[in-house]
Amino acid sequence: MSSSVAGAVSPTRQALRRVRRDRSARVGLVLVAALIVVAAASPLLVKLSGQDAYTYHIDLLDPARGNAPLGSFGGVSAEHWFGVEPLTGRDLFSIVVLGLRTSLVIAIVVTVVTTVIGTLLGITAAYVGGWFDAVLSRLLDFLFGFPQLVFMIALGIIVPAKVPRTLLLIGVLSVFGWAGLARLIRAQARSLVTREFVEAARSVGSSGWWVITRELLPNLLGPVLVIATLAIPGYIGAEAALSFLGVGVPPPTPSLGRSISDSIVWVYTGADPWFMVFPGIALFAAVLGFTLLGDGVRDAFDVRLRRTR
Amino acid sequence: MPGIVWFVVRRLFATVLVMLALSLAVYLIFYAIPADPAHLSCGKPCTPDRLEQARHFMQLDQSTIQQYLNFLRGIFAGRTFGDGPAAVRCEAPCFGYSFPLGRPVTTLIADRLPVTASIALGAAVLWLLIGVSLGVIAALNRGRLLDRLSVGVALIGVSTPSFLLGLLAILAFGFWLNMVPVNGYVPFTESPVDWAWHLVTPWLVLAVLQAASYIRLTRAQMLEELNLDHITTARAKGAGEARVVVTHGLRGALVPIVTLFGLDLGGLLGGAILTEKVFSMQGLGELLISAVGQLDVAVVVGVTLFSAFLIILANLVVDIVHGALDPRVSHG
Amino acid sequence: MAEPILEVHDLRVTFATEGGPVPAVDGIDFAVAPGETLAIVGESGSGKSVSSAAVMGLLPSNAEVRGEVLLDGRELVGLEADELRKIRGNDIALVFQDALSALNPYYSVGWQVAEAYRLHHDVSKKVAFRRAVEMLDKVGIPDAARRAKSYPHEFSGGMRQRVVIAMALVNNPRVLIADEPTTALDVTVQAQIMQLLADVQEEFGTALVLISHDLGVVAEVADDVLVMYAGRAAERGTVRDLFFRAAHPYSLGLLGAMPRIDVPPTRRLTTIPGSPPSPGSISAGCPFQPRCAYTERVGERCVTERPELTPRPGEGDHEAACHLGRRPEVVA
Repeated sequence: MSSSVAGAVSPTRQALRRVRRDRSARVGLVLVAALIVVAAASPLLVKLSGQDAYTYHIDLLDPARGNAPLGSFGGVSAEHWFGVEPLTGRDLFSIVVLGLRTSLVIAIVVTVVTTVIGTLLGITAAYVGGWFDAVLSRLLDFLFGFPQLVFMIALGIIVPAKVPRTLLLIGVLSVFGWAGLARLIRAQARSLVTREFVEAARSVGSSGWWVITRELLPNLLGPVLVIATLAIPGYIGAEAALSFLGVGVPPPTPSLGRSISDSIVWVYTGADPWFMVFPGIALFAAVLGFTLLGDGVRDAFDVRLRRTR
Repeated sequence: MPGIVWFVVRRLFATVLVMLALSLAVYLIFYAIPADPAHLSCGKPCTPDRLEQARHFMQLDQSTIQQYLNFLRGIFAGRTFGDGPAAVRCEAPCFGYSFPLGRPVTTLIADRLPVTASIALGAAVLWLLIGVSLGVIAALNRGRLLDRLSVGVALIGVSTPSFLLGLLAILAFGFWLNMVPVNGYVPFTESPVDWAWHLVTPWLVLAVLQAASYIRLTRAQMLEELNLDHITTARAKGAGEARVVVTHGLRGALVPIVTLFGLDLGGLLGGAILTEKVFSMQGLGELLISAVGQLDVAVVVGVTLFSAFLIILANLVVDIVHGALDPRVSHG
Repeated sequence: MAEPILEVHDLRVTFATEGGPVPAVDGIDFAVAPGETLAIVGESGSGKSVSSAAVMGLLPSNAEVRGEVLLDGRELVGLEADELRKIRGNDIALVFQDALSALNPYYSVGWQVAEAYRLHHDVSKKVAFRRAVEMLDKVGIPDAARRAKSYPHEFSGGMRQRVVIAMALVNNPRVLIADEPTTALDVTVQAQIMQLLADVQEEFGTALVLISHDLGVVAEVADDVLVMYAGRAAERGTVRDLFFRAAHPYSLGLLGAMPRIDVPPTRRLTTIPGSPPSPGSISAGCPFQPRCAYTERVGERCVTERPELTPRPGEGDHEAACHLGRRPEVVA
């Protein structure tokens, strides 16, 4: 991390320049941009394809093969661009693009929530120190010792059905997600707190809030951005895994993880392996894109995120 | 070394405290949920009278704190549910009793553990070997084809959800090539060959995915390590390239690799849940998922605590090994 | 001078970089006989360390080495890796500047000295370790048998440097190259280490190549001196030639920058203005010309013609690469 407080060219701008020069980061950026555009425009795209994600098309299925789609590639046709879902005949293109939107929305919301909480708590702990820091550190230890996936699964089924699942998913992922970020930010902020400009701000009587938001935060923007970007693919994967296990987004809301889970039996029997291909590629592309971009951003800001123990 | 003994004692004490806090939290959360497990075991028709009986038998009519204290006492003294000939006894150490399955939680975990451990340990050995050797090869060929290839494999590995790759592997090796069994588990004691044969695919799938982060870590560490002055010293002494890379280079990269490995092993249960579902194996993950479906809170609490215990234990082992591997670390 | 054990003729080292080839050493010659000491003197970046690494074959793969390096008449340049490996640490050994980074933090110092022995002798680890303890004792590590089991970070700077020297000497090398062996140490410890090197040299008849920028040390221990500037030899001669009859303005500058007790303290220490040219930027003419105070007396030649090393008339083997014919007097 550059130590300049107010360089001629801001470190952020320098870093963005470096991202543009890094080939794999560029691929990631393009991929991420494309996926976001597709996800954002998904209702439009679905309308454009003339289909929706909920209508059953029993006529497109072959009862002789256990209601697998008729035709090759899982029933790909001019109307159904990715074919149809076996058993129901719902349009797979709509399911995939709307599922992609579900994935990205959850991942990005969780990232924003955890980033805000983690950054504020991490910086505050580093700045205030003392009992606050001690309590936070113990809390982080506690959260790290928690079997997260196990707990999420258990909670997903035990929490009463009237709590909206998407909200529960975001809540659970956030509760466990902010800890890692807070720990990394705390470590970064601690090295800043002792620097002269913070001392200077303190000595002229700036309030704690002022120092945190005006002095520390701007200097931690790089690391925060890096950690947040690198966290997104993790949340995409986590949402997909929970939906895959049946405790994520409930039907009929389209979800990539659930579609892949539904496809198991069709893959096993060999009746319609294509059912897995399209959601699988979408999920893979989403994780890959954000991973590439995250690596690029990390290299560009030259942030070293050591496993601090 | 008395320092290390003290360190372990202190850490074990802290571990007990964390486990207590964890078990209380898990208890409070799961017992505060309105769903009533007694419903499932009260039979049909479920009269309010019989429901009350079931609740009393399962000791669910007591307060949550009382139940938690019973749970703690059971660990040392065992528990008895009900009385007379219908009484159910759960011997110490009793970590809860599953009424739907009719067995103590410890027995259930002990039954399922071999499956999960077989998957995880076999895969762990593989991913460590693959990850570290590819990482070293990548570092030694920095910027060249082998490096790009390894980094590419690693990138695909970190980007692929395990269940997706698992399904693809089943599709490719199980169905199209018809080489390996696609599901099921054979105990090692029954037939070691069949045991390994049924586990080959899950091992490879997990190994390829997990190896990715080891390739990235090993590569970065080796690049750093091989630039250090003591590597030049080793060369100047007349050490051959293999000795320079392994004895002097890899030795320094070992500490972070072992740290990651320990933490991954501790978290194996999380990964096992997905693998067991994909490969239809009856391990701890499957036990948990089905227990959740049946509101079998005793099992949920038991498995949650067990996996928390594994994570904490792994952390402790990593710290001890860390001290043994790096002479500069003291456990004072 | 006795028959030299190490002879270097017209050594040239070029690094291939993104910006094209960069010459680091541009044709130097030197020789050192058993029991004698050659000092190579120059500012950092003058190519003195690169020369020693080239002799040992320790340069990275982007370096091209040309010229002759003869060890007891045997050509080392272009020797096969395995042959070179047998010579490194056995016939020619290296002592590094920073002993802390030159030692591997993960192994005990006894292990590291023993390793150097085992790499060239087919002996058991036990025998090698005994030999290491013996060597550590010889270089003045108190209680060597016990301290051999300690790790580098548990030693003081001076003791660490002794360990590095023990490691270099454990195979009785015929040539010892010491690259700024005392720069990182306190003055009193410096003197001890230099005394140790002198003792060893006397006992084993080792030829010593001392790379240094500290003329005080050089004056005390060296027999011959090679002054390097920008990858080339500026002046070469005996230690008396340099200190009493320095012929190159650069050597004079170095002497002027050295505090002396035989000159009244009324004279201020002088410094050489400017800094050495970056490698590859030297065109025609004398590389020292931009910083030289005597250019005006010589004129155009300094800018257009590169001075070659030429013998000083009537001064034996004393040579200097300077257009200024007569000995330059000190300009205050």
